[in-house]
Amino acid sequence: MADETRKPILDRMAALVAGPLLLGREAMNLVFRPDPEASPGAPPAPLRITVTPPEHAIKRRG
Amino acid sequence: MKTRLPDHGPLETPRFWRTLEERIETPEAQQAAHDEFLPGAIPTGPSYDDVHGLPPQSGVSRRDFLGLVSAAAALAATVACDRKGQGTVVPYTKRPVEVVPGVANYYASATHEGRRVYPLLVKTREGRPIHLTGNDEHPGVKGKTSPRTMADVLRLYDPDRLRAPKAEGRIIGWSDAESRLHAALAGAKAAGKPVLLISGAVASPSRKALLADLKAALPTLEHLAYEPAAGDAAEVAGLASYGQPVDLQPRLDKAKVILSLGADFLNGEDPEAQAAWGAQRRLKSAHDPINRLWVLEGPLTLTGTNADQRVPVAPSRLGAAAFALAKELAAKGVALPAGTDLSGIPAGAPAGFPAATWSSLVKDLRTAGRNAVVLCGAQMPAEAHQAAHLLNAMLGSEAVGVRATEPLATVKELEAAAQKMASGAYAAAIFWDVNPAYTFPKAAAWKAAVAKVPVRAWIGQVEDETAAQCQLLLPENHWLESWGDYATPGAAVLQQPAIGTLYDTRPGEDILLGALKALGTNAPDGYHAYLQARWKKELPFGTSFEQALHDGLVKAEAKTPAPAFKGASVAAAAKKAAASKAEGLELVLFPGFATHDGRHANNSWLQETPDPITKMTWDNPVAVSVQDAKALGIEEGDLVTLSLDGVTVKLPAVIQPGQAQGVLALALGYGRTTGGVAKGVGVDAFPFLGLDPASANARTGARLAKAGGRKELSRTQSHHRMEGRDLVRSLTMDEFAHNPQGHHHGPELVTLYEEQRFPDHKWGMVIDLAACTGCSACVVACQSENNVPVVGPEQVARGREMHWIRIDRYYEGELENPKVVHQPMLCQHCDNAPCENVCPVNATNHSPEGLNQMAYNRCVGTRYCANNCPYKVRRFNFLEYTAYKTEPETLAYNPEVTVRPRGVMEKCSFCVQRINDVKIRAKGDGRAILDGEITTACMAGCSSDAIVFGDLKDPKSKVSQLVAASRAYRVLEELGVKPAITYLADLKNPAVEGGHHEA
Repeated sequence: MADETRKPILDRMAALVAGPLLLGREAMNLVFRPDPEASPGAPPAPLRITVTPPEHAIKRRG
Repeated sequence: MKTRLPDHGPLETPRFWRTLEERIETPEAQQAAHDEFLPGAIPTGPSYDDVHGLPPQSGVSRRDFLGLVSAAAALAATVACDRKGQGTVVPYTKRPVEVVPGVANYYASATHEGRRVYPLLVKTREGRPIHLTGNDEHPGVKGKTSPRTMADVLRLYDPDRLRAPKAEGRIIGWSDAESRLHAALAGAKAAGKPVLLISGAVASPSRKALLADLKAALPTLEHLAYEPAAGDAAEVAGLASYGQPVDLQPRLDKAKVILSLGADFLNGEDPEAQAAWGAQRRLKSAHDPINRLWVLEGPLTLTGTNADQRVPVAPSRLGAAAFALAKELAAKGVALPAGTDLSGIPAGAPAGFPAATWSSLVKDLRTAGRNAVVLCGAQMPAEAHQAAHLLNAMLGSEAVGVRATEPLATVKELEAAAQKMASGAYAAAIFWDVNPAYTFPKAAAWKAAVAKVPVRAWIGQVEDETAAQCQLLLPENHWLESWGDYATPGAAVLQQPAIGTLYDTRPGEDILLGALKALGTNAPDGYHAYLQARWKKELPFGTSFEQALHDGLVKAEAKTPAPAFKGASVAAAAKKAAASKAEGLELVLFPGFATHDGRHANNSWLQETPDPITKMTWDNPVAVSVQDAKALGIEEGDLVTLSLDGVTVKLPAVIQPGQAQGVLALALGYGRTTGGVAKGVGVDAFPFLGLDPASANARTGARLAKAGGRKELSRTQSHHRMEGRDLVRSLTMDEFAHNPQGHHHGPELVTLYEEQRFPDHKWGMVIDLAACTGCSACVVACQSENNVPVVGPEQVARGREMHWIRIDRYYEGELENPKVVHQPMLCQHCDNAPCENVCPVNATNHSPEGLNQMAYNRCVGTRYCANNCPYKVRRFNFLEYTAYKTEPETLAYNPEVTVRPRGVMEKCSFCVQRINDVKIRAKGDGRAILDGEITTACMAGCSSDAIVFGDLKDPKSKVSQLVAASRAYRVLEELGVKPAITYLADLKNPAVEGGHHEA
C-alpha cells in the first residue's frame, strides 16, 4: 500500500512545524541581526560607510 | 581522480600535457577530455556527490520539502511586510572638488612588501580606490607591479578590519588608548626598563628617522624589523660576504646569461626584473639577441618553468655546486677576489651533474663575463648565497646591483627576544604590523613568553594571532589611507592617501609620533607634518612639492658606495657547503604565492588565484617529487604526515613533475586561526621553520608517510580541457632560426559565412608566449577590473571558478624534469563565434568592432554558449556569488562593469569599458585613438609586456605588425572561428640538446 511507504505521521508533523519555525527564525535574524562587534557602551555602527577624499593629496588626472 | 604513477618505461604521449593523468593517459583522463567539463560543474548526469561517493546533502523527501517551502513562503511573506531601509540616490549636496561623478581620479602612491617597494598609480571612482597599477613615471617599474600588490586594494575593504581601538576586548576611544600606551612607555622610561618594538622591514627613510627619534626619546627601546618570508639565510650571507646587510637588485637588461640558484625572480614579485626579462624574449627574428636562463633548483619554481636549461639540484647540494662552478671558472682564468680560498671544494662537476651540461654552463658564464649574473633564492642555504656573491664578484657582474640596506632580525634574534620576554625583562611590547604569534616557529613558547610582558600593544589592521595576545589594540590605516615615503634606486617614492580613513583608525606612525610627544619631545602633529618637514629638508624638489606628489616620486640617485665583497668569508662557507649532507628528505619552506607570509591570507582574490605551478587554490599541499611519490606509493590528493624535529602535520600531497628527488616543498602563510577568509585554509608550515638562520627555510631530515585517506583538491589544472589539440607551440632558437616561417598560420579556410565587416575598428590581441612567465598578474588585474566573483574552494573543486583569463600550464617531455610553457587563455572574440549562433536569446553577439559581447540582462542561462565554446572560456554563475555582499566589500567594485547575478553567463569583454573610455576622451579632444592608448587590464598588469592590444584595422598598429610575425599562430585556427587573439610561439634558448637534465 502506498501509505505504508510514507513516513510516520509524527515525523511529518515535526518536519512541517519545525521547518517553518527554523526558517522563520533565520528570516527574523536577518532582519534584526545583532552587531557582533558592538559592545554595551559602543555607539551603534553606521549603516553606510562614509567615503571621503584624501586630504592634501594631489591627483594625477581625472 | 586517482593517479598511480607508472612503474616503468617511457610512454607514448602527446607532446604537451597539463596533468599527470594526461601524461600517463589514464582512462579517467581520456574520459575527462571527452567530457570537457568536470562532473559536478554541470548539474546533469551523475552528480558530483554521486561521483565522489558523498552522502546525500538532504534527507528531506519531496513532499516534506514542498510542505516546508509553502510554510516558509507564508512566513517569509509576513516578514517581508516589514519595510526595509530604502536606499536613495541623490547628488552631492556639497561635492568634493576632487570628485566628478563618473570620472576616475588617479593618485600616485606606493606600498611595500618587505624590502621591496612598489610605486603605484591608484584609480579611484567617486572617492573609492578600485584598481592599482604600477607608477608609469617611475624609472624602474615603468607602470608595472606585482599580483599581490594589485590585490591589496581588496584589503582596504576587508570587513574584518578593526574599526576602533580596543582595550581588554572592549572598544574605547583614541584618547583612552593613547593614554594607556603613553603611561606604559613613560613608566618604562622612568624605571629604565626595556621596551620591545617589533615591526616589518623599514623600507621608508622617514619611518627610519621616526624610529630613531623614538629611540632617542626612549633609550631603552629595542627595535626588531622582522620579515618571516624574507629568508634569514640571505641576511646571514649578506653579512658574511659584505660585512653588512645588502639588498640585491637584478639588472637583467644587462644580462646575457642568468644563473638562478633556486631564485624565483620571475614569480611576479619583481616587475622590474620581469620587464627586463620580457624585453629580451619578445624576438622578431632569430637574429635578435636573446638571453639564456640556467636554473639549478630543488622545487620547481616559476623561474624554473621559464628556464632554457634546468637541472634539479637539492638545496643541500646547491652551495657545493656553485662553489665548484667558481673553482672551475678560476681554473679557466677568471680571477678570484683577494683572500678567496676554495681548497675545500673538489674540482670538476659535482656528482651526478651531466658533464656536457656542466661544461656548457661554465663556458656560458665565462663568455658572458660582466653580462652574466648569478641569483640565489631567499630560501636557499646561506652557503649558496655566499657562492652566488662570489661568482658575481668574480665575473664583475654588471647585471646585479648590490646596495647596503637596513638590517632584518633573524629568527634567532626573535628567539632571544622571546627568552627575554619570558624572563620578565620588558616593561612593554609593541607589535606593529607583524604577527610573530603565528610566524615564530615555536608559537606556544612565544605566546607563553609574551604573556609575561605587563603591557602588550598591537598596531595592525585585522585582528590576528598576535592581537589575541595583546590587551591594547590600535587599529592602523590601510596604506591607501596613509602618507609615507620610500627609497628606491633612482627615485625617492612618495606615498599619499587615495581616500580618507574609512574607520576610526590612524597611521601607525601617528601613534608613535603621539608617543614621542608624550615622552616630552617637540614632535609635529601628525605624520603628514613630520613627512613634509623631512621632505623639504632631504629631498631635491626641482619644480614643486605638488608636482612631486603628482608624479609620486622625486628622481634622485642614492650616493651610497656599493659594499665590497670580502673574499676571506669564502673558505668557511665552501667547507660547510662541501660537507653538507641531507639525511631524510629536504623540506623547502617558501612564501605562498597567494599568502606570502600569511599577511595576504585574508584576501579572497589571491586565495582563489591558482598557484602558477601546482594550480592549487585555497590550500597548501606538500609537493612531492615524482620519484619519491613512486617510492612511497603516494597518489595526488593522498593525505600524508610530514614530520621534522618533533613537529608532525597531516596534509594532502601533490606530485610535482620537475621537483628534485628527495625534496619536498611547502608554502608558508596558510593555516591561520583568525580572519574570515584565512581561518582554516591549508596548514601552518611555520612550525617547520628552523631556528638556524643559515638554513631556516631549507631543512633536512624530514619524513613523509601516507596517513590514509584523501582530500579533494581545489585544483584547476585539469579544468577547461581543450582535448589533445595543437594549442601551445614552443620552439628552440635553432628551430626558429632554421624555419622562421614554419610556424605561421595555416592556409586560409573556405567559409560559407559572409565575411564580417568592421567599419571603424577591429580590436585584437597578441600574446607572446616567450615573454609570458605565468605569474598570473593578468588574472588578478582582470579580477579587480571586472568584478570577477570569488566562488570558494568547494565550487573551484567542481570546476566552477569564474576567472575570465586563466593561465594554462603545459609540460613537455619527461616527468622528472619537463619543460614548461604557460599560455594565457581568455575569450578569443572569434569573428565566427560558435557561442553566438547557439544563444536562443541573442544574449551574446558581435559588435561592429569585433567584440564578442554579453548582454547580461538578456541571458537566461541555457549555457549552450559554454558548451559550444572550443576554448572553454565562458563562466557561468551557478550560484549567487555577489548579491549578499554589503559594504565595505561592495566599495571595491568597479562601477563601470556590471555585477552579474546567478544564472548568467559571463566572460572576457576585452575591457570594453576601457575601450569606450578612451573613445569618449578621444572624441572630446577631437582626435583619433592613438595606438597603445587602450590598455586592457591584463595587458596593463603584465610586467613582461607579453600582451599587446590594439586595432587590427590599423596596419601600423603594434598589434597588426605582431600578427604578421613569423612566430604567430592562432589557437584552433582549423575550426574556422577566426579568433581575434594571436599567440606568438614560446621560445627556448637551450645551450645543449634537450635543455633539461637531471642531476
